[in-house]
Amino acid sequence: MRAIALFTLTALLAVVVQTTVLPMTHLGRPDLLLIICVYLGLHQHSMFGVFGAFLLGYLQDAFSGGVIGLNAFGMCLVFAVVYLTSRRLWVDNAVSKVVVVFLASVVKTVAILALVAVFISEDLWRTIVRYLVLDAAVAAIISPAVFAVLSRTQLLAQVEEE
Amino acid sequence: MIELFRRNRIVLISATLLLVALLMLSVGARSERDDPFAGIVLEVVRPLQVAVVAAVDAVRNIWTSYFALVGVREENERLRRRVLDLEQQLGQRAENERADRRLQELLDYRTGLPGESVPGQIIGRDPLPWSGTVTINKGSSDGIGRNAAVVSQYGVVGQTIATSAHSSRVLLVTDPNSGVDAIVQRSRARGVIKGALDGRCLMKYLQRGDDIVVGDRIVTSGLDGIFPKGITIGEVTGVDLDKRGLLKTADIAPSAPLDRIEEVLVVVQHAEEEAK
Repeated sequence: MRAIALFTLTALLAVVVQTTVLPMTHLGRPDLLLIICVYLGLHQHSMFGVFGAFLLGYLQDAFSGGVIGLNAFGMCLVFAVVYLTSRRLWVDNAVSKVVVVFLASVVKTVAILALVAVFISEDLWRTIVRYLVLDAAVAAIISPAVFAVLSRTQLLAQVEEE
Repeated sequence: MIELFRRNRIVLISATLLLVALLMLSVGARSERDDPFAGIVLEVVRPLQVAVVAAVDAVRNIWTSYFALVGVREENERLRRRVLDLEQQLGQRAENERADRRLQELLDYRTGLPGESVPGQIIGRDPLPWSGTVTINKGSSDGIGRNAAVVSQYGVVGQTIATSAHSSRVLLVTDPNSGVDAIVQRSRARGVIKGALDGRCLMKYLQRGDDIVVGDRIVTSGLDGIFPKGITIGEVTGVDLDKRGLLKTADIAPSAPLDRIEEVLVVVQHAEEEAK
């Protein structure tokens, strides 16, 4: 229960940072929630991980101003892909995690583009693709730091539960 | 079947949630209704966002103010240095202009002076209060010898008492050891100018009946063999009889500003000597 509370708090803080601090910087808009989703896919092979990924997407939808379900789908897809990948590949060093985050960003963006094309048919792909590589790269670069925070949070939750 | 579900439950639930998301997306794309849960989430996060934005703004304001202050301080320092530099240049320029004017006056005076003269600059003043001497930057190598008259465009300065190759000591007319043969320009009454050390001179050995009054101009007589004739020494500021009542002594204010004069002329050979 503490783990869920800490995870929720972390996710909310990530949303707050992503919606307040990052837009003030010139770092693009790296998807912090996506990094958390990748972390869940790598380390939380449980119902908590699956629903956590969905809620992360839902949270992002609530703040993105788009149609509800778009990011929820993207996050679920990312979680599933990362989960399946981590079951077959050993992804435990920093470099491989950075690569996974980058690829997850690409997967999510492509999925959202596809959904936009099918359900919304607005011509958003130019806008999305323009920032795809930059945002994916920045997210990948900062992912080790976010992973470290999440590991600490998880460790804290385990210690408190014990 | 249950085992299969248990083993792949993550994938199956993920797939279910993907379908749920698609359903939400499909419904959301068709209807214009706001999602009530999204509203709740926004409301929950809003105070956090407000707090973070306020904190970030505060930090950014402090940060930008700090850098602005640093910038202002640096610019202030740079401008202050510039002002000092310009003031120094201005001062130097004014100084040069004054020096030019003084030297021009000295040059004009030199052309009217009988005989030959060497311009010199005062490079030192007497360290003791009870004597009045200055050092100039010209000496024997410039043709200056002992007991040469030292004058300026304002009047008599003194006479050399010692020389080296490139400098000379000048005994000022205000020194008690100084003696200059002088006359009252108006009445031609004769006396000897001695220094009084307080910036004044005394004209001694005037006869009781000599015509001398306050305001009279005193000039060199040329009889001492040192100073050319007719150079201004000063002006009478007071006249007294001595204790015995036989001789008069006059107070003289030197015409040359001896405490601040900077350039002088040393008369190395005057007309009388030339005549000899």
